[in-house]
Amino acid sequence: MSKPKVAFFDFTCCEGCQLDTLNIEGEALVDLLNAVDIVEFREVASEKADSYDIAFVEGSITRKSEIPRLKKIRERAKIVIALGACAHIGGVNCLKNHLAMDEALEIVYEERAEDYDTIPTRPIDAVIPVDYIVPGCPINTAELLRIVKELLLGKTPELPNCPVCVECKMAGNICVFELGRTCLGPVTRAGCNAICVTAGRHCWGCRGLVDDPNLDAQKDVLEKYGLSVEEVLEKFKIYNTCTTEANK
Amino acid sequence: MPEHTVLVVDDEPIVRESIRDWLTEAGYRVATAETGEQALEMVRTQDFSVLVVDLRLPGKTGLAVLEAIKAERPWIKSIVITAYPSSETAQEARRLGAVDYVLKPFAPDHLERLIDDTLAAIPPEATVTTVERPITEAPVAEAIAVRETFAIDKEDLRSLYEGLAASAEVIGPKVKQGKFVFDKIKRFEELHLNYDVTVHPPVNFLRPPRETLLTLKLGDAPGAVPVLDESPRVLFGVHPYDIKAIELLDEVFMTAHPDPHYITRRQNTLIIGVDCLHPSPNSFASSMGCHQTETGFDLLFTDIGSAVMVMTGSERGAQLLAEYTEVKEPTDYEIATQKTLRDAAVEDYQLSLEVARERMPKLLEDHYDDPYWEEKSENCLSCGSCIMVCPTCFCFDVKDEVSLDLKGAVRVRHWDGCMLTDFAKVAGGENFRHGKAARFRHRIFRKGKYVLERYGMVGCVGCGRCISACLPEIASPVEAFNTIAQHAKAEAARRLIGKVTPQPDLYAPQPAKLVRVESLAANEKVFELQFANGKSLGHRPGQFVEVSMAGIGEAPISISSSPTRDGSFELAIRNVGNVTRALHGLKEGALVGIRGPFGNGFPIESLEWKDLLLIAGGIGLFPLRSLVQYVLDRRDCFGRVVLLFGARSPKERMFTEELSQWRENPDVEFLETVDRGDELWNGNVGVITTLIPGIEISPAKTMAAVVGPPIMYRFVIGELKKKGLADEQIVLSLERRMKCGVGKCGHCQINGVYVCQEGPVFTLAQLRNLREAV
Repeated sequence: MSKPKVAFFDFTCCEGCQLDTLNIEGEALVDLLNAVDIVEFREVASEKADSYDIAFVEGSITRKSEIPRLKKIRERAKIVIALGACAHIGGVNCLKNHLAMDEALEIVYEERAEDYDTIPTRPIDAVIPVDYIVPGCPINTAELLRIVKELLLGKTPELPNCPVCVECKMAGNICVFELGRTCLGPVTRAGCNAICVTAGRHCWGCRGLVDDPNLDAQKDVLEKYGLSVEEVLEKFKIYNTCTTEANK
Repeated sequence: MPEHTVLVVDDEPIVRESIRDWLTEAGYRVATAETGEQALEMVRTQDFSVLVVDLRLPGKTGLAVLEAIKAERPWIKSIVITAYPSSETAQEARRLGAVDYVLKPFAPDHLERLIDDTLAAIPPEATVTTVERPITEAPVAEAIAVRETFAIDKEDLRSLYEGLAASAEVIGPKVKQGKFVFDKIKRFEELHLNYDVTVHPPVNFLRPPRETLLTLKLGDAPGAVPVLDESPRVLFGVHPYDIKAIELLDEVFMTAHPDPHYITRRQNTLIIGVDCLHPSPNSFASSMGCHQTETGFDLLFTDIGSAVMVMTGSERGAQLLAEYTEVKEPTDYEIATQKTLRDAAVEDYQLSLEVARERMPKLLEDHYDDPYWEEKSENCLSCGSCIMVCPTCFCFDVKDEVSLDLKGAVRVRHWDGCMLTDFAKVAGGENFRHGKAARFRHRIFRKGKYVLERYGMVGCVGCGRCISACLPEIASPVEAFNTIAQHAKAEAARRLIGKVTPQPDLYAPQPAKLVRVESLAANEKVFELQFANGKSLGHRPGQFVEVSMAGIGEAPISISSSPTRDGSFELAIRNVGNVTRALHGLKEGALVGIRGPFGNGFPIESLEWKDLLLIAGGIGLFPLRSLVQYVLDRRDCFGRVVLLFGARSPKERMFTEELSQWRENPDVEFLETVDRGDELWNGNVGVITTLIPGIEISPAKTMAAVVGPPIMYRFVIGELKKKGLADEQIVLSLERRMKCGVGKCGHCQINGVYVCQEGPVFTLAQLRNLREAV
């Protein structure tokens, strides 16, 4: 069997997820390169290919010109995988959607605003069908590798559908709320091993919400811990503007 | 570890009891039986590893017991004991699978060794063979007794810690971010024995969040190698409620299918307890009986200020004390202080259960549909925090993690649990415990009912960790238990005398007219009845009514006609007692009294769309006829219908016209036999069981309904089992003295079951649990 052809693409994002992919430690990276053929990866090479078995797409869609480019990738790829929070749920780029578009252009480009066009931020699955997701900001590279391995084995990759709390307890952490602070762990999809809480911070919700989040209960909890309704919404806004809009 | 149960069968009490005592002493669980019949009964319902059986027993002999066991429970190892040896019986015993043949009298240690060897010969997948490794070298110091209390100096704890830390990982309570956690203790000063509760339970070091079960080889020659964690550990400073939780997990993981991963860790872990003298505000351990313990530890400390009291719980614990501390006999003052401190701690619990915990299983069972589950769980985040901090939760999931070269993998077990949305979801997408309320209720039922019933130990030790961890503040088991108990109390109050609406006609029969009376045989008649008020009976096939003859009394009579034949109903009745004699004397047009219908009737729902094997013996046809008619009237809803009927003689055949119709009916396969024929009979002769072997059935889609005299059941069941039918696929209707019909008088009770309520129709599976049934 020939090695599957893999390509990486980026849209509106910081390219941190691709950078993290390149940072996969020594042996695992060699193994990965042995298992797949990387045919496009702008960060490391300039080659182009006509078709791919797997296309990883990083970044969200924020300009009209990005739409046909993304559609073309979909046409050429057997499998499209959203790489990171921007592609998956729009990510921090979604914060723009709380403003009028010309207002956003004004703030960023000031007097040159007229030279640019912008549209409300969308995750890539708002434009094309997406097969699988590697969530997170940035991605968890162990999860990326797991998904690649499962595809190579012919297994359907699945994301955990429990909140970060599960992995946070398994990591032996003390609950952020018990320490008097607040956290989005109870409604955010696990798979990160609660890395932020383990490192002493709280969960920002970068992996998106679980399938059936109890947002009302979470808002009650956050309010009980002293947050105003506005502050509660701010918490959700950072990563989940696009995904929580429907739930407002 | 007592994980094997031995069944001792001997009719001599002295032999039976002394063997029982020896083996119990040796650490085995022992059950005894006086006769072969009793032994087989027990073997069928309980799990035994070894059978010790006497040859000469009243009734079934030892060899007959061996034969039955070889057929039914071939995995049980049998040892024959006898005072009357012969080479014939010895050979026969061997042939029937006995592992040994021992002459009476014999020495206790001989039998013990024999059983040890026998069990050692059980293949390794059945038992776990892990070497018990002492953590320290055998001590030279003089021996200290087990289960005794001593006083030691506080400084002795340091030398004990240092001694242990030299050869094992010591895990104990220490401070992290202002809370207590169990973690590796690197210096004695880190150890905080005076804590209220830790965020996570110490049992996490026996069933860790993630552990590798197997290393796997992928590809054409797959392989699997178990991975066991043998590293020596000490859990230093475990509170009694956490010790109780470990005892529960021991029961879960070390009995039935002994779990090698848990057991290896457990055998390499010392447990050093410490009394909880300052309980956490969320704890209700005293209500769960888990605030103190006398078992489950190697050592247990109580800090009494001036000294530390220590109780030895095992040989290993006693060795450690001897090696690293200087023990003293406690003074009266020290003993009194320990008691005062323990008593004072009990007073400190702020939460308590307001109902005896033994009552919880029943209360929960009665409140399965309580609105509490729905209301309380509305705010559930399904975040799993309650189960992730719980010391008595032990559910898990298993996943493969593959290497990038795709040649190897590890199979990893990690925590999972019933509060998480996908816990009961299967590959097809169906979720068998859907919705927050169902999950919430399941957790509380586990804590208050299921675990207690399954393992005989409380499913919640009252540590209160879930209460602290739950953000919407809904997880408290004690609150759930108390609320349900309050609801039960409120219901009882509503039932107060004066507030109850009686059922006025509970015992008053309704008049019904005999519209037709027809003789069936010498002693049997069929009566067609109609209620005087024109109402229909509204029964299910297989139900019964109470027939009343004013001045004589009432008798339970099964209904012989199907509800599909509307307007009237039929009772076929044998003249055997006062009521039936009076009935037989009545003519068409007379009025009798009817109460009912009562009982459950045949389980139509589980018979529909199946192939049916309907078997009636003698007047068993009377109740079964209601089902036969029902099936024929709704023929499209059933598969193949095979009908077997047996009578003692041609003269005792009843409903003969109907029998001929069934014989003619192309939709029914009808077979009939009589025990004894006569000159006019040219059909089958022989008991009804002789009809069964000749019938080809598809066991997977067949249900059998059997009605007849008790003696017939035994033999028919035997034949049906040979056909491959499971106990759930065989339903029987039982006859009992159903005097009141409404579950009160007690005449029809079988063990805890009222036949007039839960019966008269039972599956064989249900009857297996009713020792007094067949």
